[in-house]
Amino acid sequence: MMNHNTRRASARSFTVCALLAGLVVGSASWAADAPAPAAESAKPAARTPNPRTAMTGSWNRYPDIDEKPLPGFPPAAPIPAAPLKAQYKAEWEARRKEVADAEAAGKPLYSNYTACLPDGMPAMMMGMFPMEVLQTPGQVTIIQEAYNQVRRVYLGATLPSFEEAEPLFWGHSTGRWEGDTLVVETIGVKEDVRFRDVPHSNQMRISERLRLLSANMLEDEVTVTDPVYLEAPWKWRWLYQRKPGYRMLEYVCEENREYRDESGAARMRIGK
Amino acid sequence: MKKIEARHIVAVLSSALLGLGATVALAHHSFAMFDSDHQVKVAGTVKHFQWTNPHVYIEMDGKNVKDEKAADQHYTIECASPGILTRIGWKFNMVKPGDTITVIIAPLRTGEPGGLLKQITLSDGRKFLNGGPAGKPNIE
Repeated sequence: MMNHNTRRASARSFTVCALLAGLVVGSASWAADAPAPAAESAKPAARTPNPRTAMTGSWNRYPDIDEKPLPGFPPAAPIPAAPLKAQYKAEWEARRKEVADAEAAGKPLYSNYTACLPDGMPAMMMGMFPMEVLQTPGQVTIIQEAYNQVRRVYLGATLPSFEEAEPLFWGHSTGRWEGDTLVVETIGVKEDVRFRDVPHSNQMRISERLRLLSANMLEDEVTVTDPVYLEAPWKWRWLYQRKPGYRMLEYVCEENREYRDESGAARMRIGK
Repeated sequence: MKKIEARHIVAVLSSALLGLGATVALAHHSFAMFDSDHQVKVAGTVKHFQWTNPHVYIEMDGKNVKDEKAADQHYTIECASPGILTRIGWKFNMVKPGDTITVIIAPLRTGEPGGLLKQITLSDGRKFLNGGPAGKPNIE
C-alpha cells in the first residue's frame, strides 16, 4: 500500500497519465433531475462514511482527461510494466513492438477491442467509461458502462480451485471486509483475456483492496500474482471520483463496422 | 512546475509506448488508420445517421470544400460512441437525413472516402467536437 507521502510525491509527476488513459466524461445531459455535484465533492470527509454502504453509486476514473487533480488527491502513478519472467518477457516485448510498429505505419492491428469483446478483468476496472457500484446484502456488483460489463463479488464465498474455476471474462470473485477495506480476490479469467497483452495462466489471482479515501474518492489497489508467468507481484492503483446523479447508459455493440483485413489490420467498412 | 511536468510527459509517453497499450485503452479501437495530420473539410447532405455502439456513423454526400476540382462523393464518417457524445452534449436525434452539414475529418489513410470526425457544424450553425480521444480539428 502506498503511504500518503508517496502519493503526494507522485502527484505532480504524473498529471499526464490521465491524458493517456482518459476519456471525456461530463455530466449526463438528460439527467436534469439529478442532484448537482457538490462543490467540494472530493474533499476529505470530516467523518468517514460507512464503506459497507457508501461505495454504492456512480464513479468516474480520476482524474479525467483535461481534469486537474484535486488538492489532496494526487493521481495514481502510471501502471508499471508487468514483472514477467525472463522467458516470457522477450515475447511480450516483441508483441508490443509489433503493435507499436503497426500503429506508426497507420495500420493498427485488429484486437479484442476492435472485435467488440469486453475488457474482462482486470482491465474493466480501468474505468474506460463511468462505473457503478451496488452494495446489497452478501454481494457487491460492479458495472462498467463500456460493453455493459458486470462483475459480481460474493462476500464470504469460497473460490473454486484454479483447476475447477471455469474461465470467464470477469472470473470468479469473493470479497471480505478488513476494517474499512473491501478485499476482493478474483481467479478464473480466460487466458486470452489479457490486460496490456500480458499473458497469464489459470493460476493468476487478482487481489484488490477497495477503500474510500473520502466520501467521494474510491481507491482500488490491484495486485496480480501468477506463479507461471510473473516473477513478482504486479501492482498498481486506480482512483475513481464519485459522479453524483449520473445514470449509466446502455452499451451494446450493435453494429460494428471494424473488420480484420487479410493482413490482420483493423479496417473500417465504408458505406451503408 | 512546468519543467517537471514536461519531463514526466516524456516518461509517461515512453512507458505507454513500451507496453501500456494506451491507444487501446482510449477507445474501441486505435485511430491510427486515420490521418490527423492532413485533415479535410467536407460539406454536404446527410444520407444516414447511425446512433449505435461501438461507434456513431454519418453517411453523407459531399465534397471537399478546399479542393475546387473536387466532385461530390459519398463519405462515411466515424464518430465516437453514443456515451462519449452524450456526455459532450450531442443528442441521438440531432442529425437527420437531409440535413446540410459541414465536417472536418481525419481521412482514412487508405484513400477510401471516409474518416474520423473532428468537428461537425450542423444546419443551425452549432458546432460539436467528437470527444477527447478523437481529438480536435487542426484546420478551419
